[in-house]
Amino acid sequence: MGVVMPLNAETAQAKIQRVVNEDSTDIALFVRSSQDDMLGWNRQRIVDALLRETFIDRDTAEKISKDIEVTIQAGKVKTITGPLIREMVNAKLLEMGLEEARRMHTRLGVPLYDVDQLLVQHNKENANVPHGPEATNLTLAEGIKKEYALLHVFTPDVADAHLSGDLHLHDLGFIDRPYCSGQSLEYIKKFGLNLPHALSMAKPAKHAEVLLAHMVKFAASLQSHFAGAIGWDAINLFYAPYLEELDDNGVKQLAQMMIYEFSQQAVARGGQAIFSDVNIYWEVPKHFEDVPAIGPGGEYTGKTYREYEKQAQRFAWALFEVYKEGDAAGRPFFFPKPLVHITEKFFKTDGHMDFLHHICEVASVKGNTYFVFDRGDTAKISECCRLSFKLEASDIEDAKKPWKMRYSALQNITINLPRLAFKAQGDDTKLFQLLTEKLQLAAKAHSQKKKFIERLMSLGKGGPLSLLAMDLDGEPYLKLHKCSFLIGMVGLNELIRVHLGQELHDSDASIKFGLKVIAHMNIVCNKLAESMGMKFVLEQTPAESTAFRFAKLDLAHFNEAAEKVVQGNREKGEVYYSNSTLFNVGATMSPIARVEKEGLFHPLIEAGSITHIWLGEAQPDKEALASFVINVFKYTQNDQIAFSPEFTACLACGKTSRGLSETCPYCESKEVDGITRITGYFTKISSWNKGKLGELHDRYRNIDRFNN
Amino acid sequence: MTLFTKDDCVLCEQLKKQFDLSAMEVQVEVLGNNDAGALAHLAWHGLVERARKALPILVLDDSSALHEFGHIESHLLDRAARYGCGVAVRHAGKQAGCESGSCALQ
Repeated sequence: MGVVMPLNAETAQAKIQRVVNEDSTDIALFVRSSQDDMLGWNRQRIVDALLRETFIDRDTAEKISKDIEVTIQAGKVKTITGPLIREMVNAKLLEMGLEEARRMHTRLGVPLYDVDQLLVQHNKENANVPHGPEATNLTLAEGIKKEYALLHVFTPDVADAHLSGDLHLHDLGFIDRPYCSGQSLEYIKKFGLNLPHALSMAKPAKHAEVLLAHMVKFAASLQSHFAGAIGWDAINLFYAPYLEELDDNGVKQLAQMMIYEFSQQAVARGGQAIFSDVNIYWEVPKHFEDVPAIGPGGEYTGKTYREYEKQAQRFAWALFEVYKEGDAAGRPFFFPKPLVHITEKFFKTDGHMDFLHHICEVASVKGNTYFVFDRGDTAKISECCRLSFKLEASDIEDAKKPWKMRYSALQNITINLPRLAFKAQGDDTKLFQLLTEKLQLAAKAHSQKKKFIERLMSLGKGGPLSLLAMDLDGEPYLKLHKCSFLIGMVGLNELIRVHLGQELHDSDASIKFGLKVIAHMNIVCNKLAESMGMKFVLEQTPAESTAFRFAKLDLAHFNEAAEKVVQGNREKGEVYYSNSTLFNVGATMSPIARVEKEGLFHPLIEAGSITHIWLGEAQPDKEALASFVINVFKYTQNDQIAFSPEFTACLACGKTSRGLSETCPYCESKEVDGITRITGYFTKISSWNKGKLGELHDRYRNIDRFNN
Repeated sequence: MTLFTKDDCVLCEQLKKQFDLSAMEVQVEVLGNNDAGALAHLAWHGLVERARKALPILVLDDSSALHEFGHIESHLLDRAARYGCGVAVRHAGKQAGCESGSCALQ
């Protein structure tokens, strides 16, 4: 039986026909187009867009355009915007059940209200991004690229997993870039500063200061092509051939210039400083000993790097003198982060104890030093908050031509571990099955990003990634075939708490089960790597905002279970999960116990791990820290450690004091900001997200653990 | 006591043939692409990096570890004697195959 219509009712079709007949040639309507123009109404533009952007047929497109015309005319508006017409068309597509066409026809954009908020309020997703017009540009652009990535780069199952918080696709706003890059100074020493689309080209530097200028500019260019950190390998060694002309004051001046250049230049995207790391060795690493050194003008000096040990040590020493002094207000430098490699050879190299005391003093006074442990024959380059690339046999071969040494991770994906435990409800088999499924999904997401970047790279020097396509040494700067694909984890501690009722620090059984979870991830990654021909490796995700996001989402969607295990202060919204495989930050543990036990996980996490030792206002003796570092190297499996003191910077008198205070101890001003390490780098606490503020409050400070 | 091994490790196989390990109450963990428990157990003893260099590894009851094949064999011979277990004869020296890296965790 058909639908009974009231006698005076007009069918929709009849209405359309009537309106079309009334004024089918021209509606006195202006459309604000997206091309900064006011155009007259033209229904055909809807048809053209639908045919260009979707797969629907012409008749349907025509019908939709006529329906929209009727609706607009009935509204009697004089001006309408292009985005509104598009949304009306999308609503019509939905109404007709054409979901795929609607997805393809989506307009990416930001509501007026949101833009208004963004222009005024500080976005704290990344504490390294300041508040300003450039940051607003970044946030807006990131917002659109995120939407684009979730709609167009990744399949709906991957996008849904991200949106629901099963996993987190990092840096979606930088979808058209790889994640991070580690490289050698030798590239610019050999080829000069010769970048695609640059307005001028520079030959290889003849002087140390010029080399520094090249390095900083190249780093800035790289930062605009990578989402994450820009790391430099063996920086003190590769500068060494340029230092022979300089006395100690000159070397110190160069060290000062390098640190200030990287820490002060707010030139990277969003007006932030370049996220930079410098790898430093006291010894000449074994794989560089016999490599011919490149010196001023890009010429070989006739010596090998083995012969530059003393010059390299002079520079390393000078860099840490500058770190120890801090900036003009005595604050620690945030960048570049100095990563000192502690190796077997380190302990066989003259002067190592003096240097160890020197860098431990810096660790105590300012906290800058990262101690990276390369045991046995391991060689690696480290960057970002803890990421490291272990050098394989082919890399060691590349070391003979160090400018070829560059390493990238293409993307980073983190899995929400506590949620798996909520779903498994104590069933081991179910837990590991869910974990496997999420790892498979992460691998799928990686392959989709890889395909997208390959497409951009295939456009070569005329494409958007021309810098990464440059091939001065015969192969593209970005070696796609060697890229790593990172898989991280958040909240192992909370997974254990849900699954076993204890936290990691509570018992050996908790740690053993935690190791089994990470071992499972390691094994599945290896299998996926073998089957998909991609290098999937585990990394302790820094998860600056992800640990907060997952906790918030789980409180919303798994409230009953989540509220029992989420860390932080729920009333203030300062909630978080423990980062990666870290133990509860508030657990009362001796620093060596924390380093040892957290370190058990590190060999299973091949792309990098770290243990933080929160110092608070304590300032341990350099000898005590040196002894601690030696013990960590000799007796634990820990990959990397950092000591993190806290500071209060007074905005009124400009002085810096130890510890976190509400008021300045010098002038009693309340205009103060705290400074300490957020996840893997120093920054101002006022820029932290709520989750990290919750963590800061909970951190166990090792106040009297070293000096007594 | 635990002996960490791998399926394609010729030295591990040699020990398994030579000794009745279960009778000697030596737990055998087979590292590979399917046993997270074995890998976790190895990690618990802090031996992952060591296993990447060479297998087998014998972890004693006091948690100390033996890595040299000769030391492992000698220790197992003593234990076999104490347990009254027989020992099969083996050919001396390393067997072919270890050079390819099969006697190490990949």
